[in-house]
Order: sequence, then C-alpha cells, then structure tokens
Amino acid sequence: MNRQGATPAMRLFAECLMAYETKAGPVLAGNKPPAVLVCDKLRLPLATLMGNAGYRALLARALTLAKAETPWPSEVVIKPDGSLGGWETLEAQDDPQEMAEAGVVLIAQLLDLLTSFIGEDLMLRQVYEVWPTVQLPQGDSIAQRKNENTK
Amino acid sequence: MKTLNKINVAKSALPRKVVSRPAKVAIRQLPTGVRGLDEIMGGGLPEFSFNIIAGAPGCGKTTLAHQIMFANATPRKPALFFTVLGEPALKMLRHQQQYSFFDPTQLNRSIRFINLSSALLKNGLRGVVEEITREVEASSPAIVVVDSYRNVTRKTIAEENELDLQAFVQRLVLLLTSWQATTFMVGEYAEAEMRDNPVFTVADGIFWLSQNVERNSVVRKLQIIKSRGQGSVPGLHTIRITADGLQAYSRTLGLLQEKVRPAKRRRLSSGIPELDEMLGGGILEGDSLLVAGPSGTGKSALATQFLAEGLRHGEAGVAAIFEERPEGYTARAGTLGMDLRTPQKNKMLEMLYLRPLDLSVDETMQEILDAVKRLKAKRLVIDSLVGFEMALAPGFREDFQESLYRMIAALTGAGVTIFTTVETADTFNEMSFSHYTISFLTDDILRLRYVEIEGQLRKVITVVKMRGGNHSKDIREYIIGDKGVAIIGPRQEQYARLTTGLPDRIGQIKELAPEPKAK
Repeated sequence: MNRQGATPAMRLFAECLMAYETKAGPVLAGNKPPAVLVCDKLRLPLATLMGNAGYRALLARALTLAKAETPWPSEVVIKPDGSLGGWETLEAQDDPQEMAEAGVVLIAQLLDLLTSFIGEDLMLRQVYEVWPTVQLPQGDSIAQRKNENTK
Repeated sequence: MKTLNKINVAKSALPRKVVSRPAKVAIRQLPTGVRGLDEIMGGGLPEFSFNIIAGAPGCGKTTLAHQIMFANATPRKPALFFTVLGEPALKMLRHQQQYSFFDPTQLNRSIRFINLSSALLKNGLRGVVEEITREVEASSPAIVVVDSYRNVTRKTIAEENELDLQAFVQRLVLLLTSWQATTFMVGEYAEAEMRDNPVFTVADGIFWLSQNVERNSVVRKLQIIKSRGQGSVPGLHTIRITADGLQAYSRTLGLLQEKVRPAKRRRLSSGIPELDEMLGGGILEGDSLLVAGPSGTGKSALATQFLAEGLRHGEAGVAAIFEERPEGYTARAGTLGMDLRTPQKNKMLEMLYLRPLDLSVDETMQEILDAVKRLKAKRLVIDSLVGFEMALAPGFREDFQESLYRMIAALTGAGVTIFTTVETADTFNEMSFSHYTISFLTDDILRLRYVEIEGQLRKVITVVKMRGGNHSKDIREYIIGDKGVAIIGPRQEQYARLTTGLPDRIGQIKELAPEPKAK
C-alpha cells in the first residue's frame, strides 16, 4: 500500500486526544509526553482486542510511517509490553514543538492504520472506550461521526 | 428438631405434583440468527449448552459464531469472543463487518473481543482458563465463543499431556455452564478426531460444516451431529454464504409446520373448458399436475392459461420459469390475450426467474416457497423441470428429484396446486412421459404429442393419469390459436395408434366431390 501522510482529520483527532491527556493531569502523567500517554491508554483495549503482539506490530508500523513523515529520535523504541520507551531523554535534546508534531503524526498514523483495517466506525468505538467524554472540534468528519454513533 | 418441623411443614405445603413428580426443566431456545437454522435445530439453540462448531477452513465457522453472537448479545447479557492464535482480530473485524448482521453499535457495548494468545503462550491452559474466568465473572455473558479452540489444544498436545487437556475441558465446561453462558468452541477438525478429542464427548451440540467441490461448483453443507435435549432435523443441509452471512436450507424446506389440505377439495379450471371436461371437471385443488410434451406443443401456453384462470378468480399465482425471461414470458402471454402484467403490479402474480450459476436445489425451492407464502398463492407453475435441473450446480443434480419430491409433497399438502411442464423427445414408436420418476412427483399427467395425419403435423392431447378421480380416455386434437390452447373436435375415431405419432387410418375415407371441369 502506497500510504500518504496522516490525514488532516486524523491529525486533528490526534491533537484532541493529546490535548485531553495534557489537561487530564500532569501529576498522574509523570511528565510523559502526551503522545506517549495516548499510546499507553490505547494499548490496553487494543491489546485486549488483538493481543499484545498484534498491538506491538500495529504501533511499529505507525512509528515507521511517522518516521517517514517527520523526524523522530532514534531513542524511541517499542518495548516488549507494547509501551513506548526512550522518551525520557527527548525533552532535553529536542525542540518541544518538533516533538509535539512528531507525537501528533504517530497517533494520527496509528488511528489511520486502525481505520484502514476496521473502518472509522469501529476505530472510533475503540477510542471512545478510553475517552468517552473527549470533546472534538466541531465541523470535522470524525466529530460528526461521533455524534452519529452516540445517537 | 425445630428445623425439621419447619421442613415438614414446608413440604406439606407444596403442591402434590411438585412433591411426587418434579416438573421438567424447560430449556429455553436461543435464536441462531441464521435463516433456516432454527428450524434445523428443532427450534433454536439450547440455552447454557456447550457447543462445537467444526469443519475445514472456509466453511463459515467464524461467520456462524458471529451471527449467533449478534443475534443474542445485549448490554446486560453480552457476548465474549475469545481469539486464540488464529485469524488476527483486526482482519476478522475487517471482514465480518461486511455482513449485514454486523452491527457496529454492539461492539464493546454488548460484544467484546478478547485475545488470549499471550495468556496461552505464557501460561498454557492454566493461563487461558484464568483469563476466561476473569472475563466471564466480570461480565456474566450470555454467549461465549472461543475461536480457535483447536489452536488451544494443539499447543497443549505439543507441550502438555492428555490429562491436562481433559481437565482443562472439564474446568471450562463447568465454569461456563455455572455462569449460565451458551458456549461455542470453534475449530478446524477432521472427522476422525471426534473419537479421541475429549471436547467432543462433553459437548452438548456439534455443528459440522463442510465444503465439497464437484466439477466446477462448490457445495457447502451443515450437519448437526449432536444436539442434546432436543431433536434436530437429521442429514446434510445446504448452506450458502451471502452478504447476509450464512443461510441454511433445511432438508424439510421449513414445511414441517404447514397445515394439511382439506379432505374435500375443489376442482380448479385449467382455463380450457374442454380440458376441464377431460379432467373430470377440472384439476383437484392441491394436486400436482405434469404436462409432458415435445418442444412447441404448447406446454407453456397451457401453464399460462392455468395461471390466468386462477387470477380471473382472485387466486394469486407464482411462476418459476427457467427457460425464458419474465418479460418475454409476460409479452408472449399478452399475444395470447392474457394480461400477466397487471397482476404482477398488483402483487397477485410473481414471476421467478432463477438461473444463476451454482444454484442449490434447496435454495431454489426456498425462493419458490417464499414467493408462495408472500402471495398466499394458490397456483404454482414450474416451467420447466428440465430447465430447473439445468440451472443447478452439477453437485446438486443428484438431489434434484428427492428435493423436488419433498417440495411438491409439502406444497400440495398445504393446498397449493402445482402445474409443472417437462419437455420430452417424441419418438415415432412409443409415448414416453419423462425421464423423471414421475409417479412420485405428480397426481395427474397430461401428454401432448405430434401426430402425422393427412400430410400434416398435428397436435393431440390426452389425460394419462388422474389420481383423484375418473378422467376422459380420449385422445383429442388441439391447436394453439390467438387465445392459447384450444381443443378442437371430438376424439379421433378415424385413426388407430395415435400414440405412436404415425397412426393408421381405420375409418372410411370420405370421397371428395370431383373438382369441376375446366370450361
């Protein structure tokens, strides 16, 4: 499959999830970057659905696609349990703006991948399992879908 | 003692029937969500049963399990689908959501997919049981599916011993039954494995799916090998996977519950008064009549007249046609003065054109039966048997006669009158009826044939058989005019051996007056 970069709608969705996580509580987050927090939270339902190996494979693919789209530090790796490792060293070394952008791209690619496999409906259902109250910006297609799904 | 007295009092207060003979437990039946399967199962799936869905790859096992889940899961009593080292869940969801029964709103609300691969790889059978126990106790599911259970046992056979496997099966059955779940273990098995695998011993129900290739066509079949506590329809049933998922076609064609025809039956007009006379007043309602004759003798015209006559009397009809498209059939009826277009618009007549490739005999019958039920049809035309058989996949042709017999018997039993045509090859030394064993299929037989008389190829009709009463033995000539088939003249007394097609004149030849001389 010749994939393009993450779609604008999915980038917007990723930004919403990351913003939600940032607002949720920096104390609990332990200063993890928002993208890592989002991945951590998605890991449980997705690993339940597809197994730990399945989730790791999907995240690895998303990371590869994200690296092709935006610069990513080589320190970031996927650990055997499916969590992201190596992020601790990032804040000191990299431009925060650049890192935030990389995080958005990774999450957007992960959601895009899920969408291409199981469709937007089922992808959204998985996401709303984790963030049932997440507020999306009005007007984008995913927000409209959420409203339709919750009717 | 006080306690004992209390028990005695309580016992005496019970109704006599409960003490002497406890009431039987009523086993609730759950819908399968598969068209035709409830009937095959004898009403549905026994609640709290432990079942195996087995068969080779590509038979529809996972789809069947999904249909059962979607038909029964609710937010209060959800379904849990455990996947184990088989088809990746993402791909399964990707494919299963294409079916019409897949309702995405049920996902995570009443249906949950849980992957057990890590539990199995890390902790073996113990890990699987622990994980299933945790999930079952957390959500009290109505339905539990393990797909593929075969992968669980394969891992065990490789690394653990047979007793471990038996203990695992026992624990699983006890757990799921105690938690009031109806369970399905999905797996790829060969028939020989049924003897040795302990899961087949403890299972209450075994669904066996198979796929057979015959020449260029594929035939899928379902068999209920075991069904504890209730009677299922025995034998192999055709299944088909469509956009709606699995559809099953019971060998009984869903006709077990049909009412029986009344003892006193009317006589229906064929639309041709002279033919009604030959039939002793008309065709008996609920009879199956076969018209046999070579090409061009007017079999379809007779069938159309039979339908049109019913429509004139407000009787709905169905025509299953295999050799001509409905538009052509309708247009040709129009040229004979019969309007079949208006009744089709008014839902009094349905023309079924059934000629897809690889048609299974049972699903074709089902189409016909559905149309008959939809219209509450009284008259059914099958035009023709030869076309019907040709439209079937080769693998189904062997079953054709048996299935046809079952359908005709059930429909006529319910009071529908069937008019079937069959093409025969005329030889000029005998009169055959058809290569089918027609006595099983029909109550009445009409035979049309060509005869050579006075340098012309004419047509004659005769009633060969009428099970329900006396009939004319005459061989009468007919023509196909602008109003369809019309019988002309009384029986032929001038010729013998008309049935051979090459009759001998036995009557006197009337001398024609000599032509006037030219002046």
